[in-house]
Amino acid sequence: MTTVVEAHGLTKHFGKVHAVEDATFTIEENRIYGLLGRNGAGKTTLMSLLTGQEFATSGRVEVYGHSPVENAGVLERTAFIKESQRYPDDFRVKHVLKSAPWFFANWDAGFADQLVEEFRLPRDRRIKKLSRGQLSAVGVIVGLASRAPLTFFDEPYLGLDAVARQLFYDRLLADYAEHPRTVVLSTHLIDEVSNLLEHVIVIDDGRIIIDSDADELRGSATTVAGTSASVDAFTKDREVLHREGIGGLASATLAGLDASGRRAAAAAGLELTPVSLQQLIVRSTTSGIEEK
Amino acid sequence: MTTETLTARRPGGTPISRITRIVKLNLTNPWTTIILPWLIIFAIFALSYGIWLIILRNASNVEDASEGMQYSGASSWIFVYMMVIAVQSMNLTFPLALGYGVTRRDFYLGSALTFALLSAMYAVGLTILASIEDATNGWGIGGRMFTAIYFGGADAQWWERLLTFFFLLLVFFFVGASVATLYVRWKANGLVAFFLALGILLVGGVALLSYTESWGLVGDFLAANQALGTAAWLLVPAAMAGIAGFFVLRRATPRS
Repeated sequence: MTTVVEAHGLTKHFGKVHAVEDATFTIEENRIYGLLGRNGAGKTTLMSLLTGQEFATSGRVEVYGHSPVENAGVLERTAFIKESQRYPDDFRVKHVLKSAPWFFANWDAGFADQLVEEFRLPRDRRIKKLSRGQLSAVGVIVGLASRAPLTFFDEPYLGLDAVARQLFYDRLLADYAEHPRTVVLSTHLIDEVSNLLEHVIVIDDGRIIIDSDADELRGSATTVAGTSASVDAFTKDREVLHREGIGGLASATLAGLDASGRRAAAAAGLELTPVSLQQLIVRSTTSGIEEK
Repeated sequence: MTTETLTARRPGGTPISRITRIVKLNLTNPWTTIILPWLIIFAIFALSYGIWLIILRNASNVEDASEGMQYSGASSWIFVYMMVIAVQSMNLTFPLALGYGVTRRDFYLGSALTFALLSAMYAVGLTILASIEDATNGWGIGGRMFTAIYFGGADAQWWERLLTFFFLLLVFFFVGASVATLYVRWKANGLVAFFLALGILLVGGVALLSYTESWGLVGDFLAANQALGTAAWLLVPAAMAGIAGFFVLRRATPRS
């Protein structure tokens, strides 16, 4: 497998705000990555660092083996339309469709036209006058039709209706199958994308707290439920992400439970239920809040 | 599998094409940068023509009226308009270019080329109009819009006007662009600091000229250099601004 992105100790501070703190991770070629986290967790900043739009405070990042900062050879392979992307005042949708092909060697104009129809984007409307969902659709279309080897989608679901979200999901998967590329998709709507993702990176308060294969992650966490006494006995020496109890009953979410653990739980009379990706991430990123 | 890996495709572009496509990006909507300015020029010309007719019909001394017209400022807006184009390019086209995977270096060089090309186009057009104005004796009624005194007056050669227009346009483009890069990089703080510094320099300069009673030197300078020479001298601060803008933008990240 080829490594596309390699970040080591990547850090970005804005004054006192630690937007990204000591991030170390790699991104492999031709996989779909989910960059998940709450609003303001540092997702957009991290993607801006990977595309040379932000300058790191410390640490280093290599994309295709080189620093992306001011590196035309690297940046030509990336597409990153930010969620808050700004466009020239006089731009209409058609001007984006006209200019984008000049910058992406793999641009597929037919595919872009098809997506414009499917998302029902008005070509002659000024970008400024688009609704939030239509603005997201512009970013999605550029991201998909550019077929950039390293494509970033920043909150692509923002404002999109259910039909449009499904459309994005379907078109991304189909086009990705035909033209494999590396996709990094940031969102806080985790359940919506969870089946799409092959790898998950969770960022919370600037720090990467989960960096794992999506299937492994889905399989790893389990909730055990039963009487408080038996739950406590079972979880005493295990990593508990979350625990809640009512009266004499309790349930606990465990980070990982192997086959022998499952047998032990069953033997202890505990009920096992799988944990969705969203629940798992909510449990992982809110641990500090619930205790209060 | 019949799939292909996208990284294997041809690489983006040559160094030259990376810069020329920024020119295209800046001119994506030609209405703003090319069509509308010419429409405004012709609209202002039509209005001016009307005003000249009114003046000539009512003026008691036609000679005086014709002389007054050489101070026409009817085409001066074009310079301010081009300055706004430069500001918009740095402020709004730049963030989009970054999204398209462009380096700051290529964006700035490509925009500088755009400004030079637009300056050349408008300089040629205005010079042609000035030559017609000359040849027709002020459109048949002694009107003056493109041969105003600021562009060398009625007696200037066509090439003098061409260079004057070209230089002045370059000055406005690059001063506008460089001030805009301050905004892109440091937002309002950058502009406040810049205009404070500029204000101090200007007041200092005025004080120096006033206390040393040297205002005559300014008049002498303008008289000696004429419109073309003055415009050429203005290229010096414009070039400094253009170079400064490059370095300011190289470390800038647009924020929304």
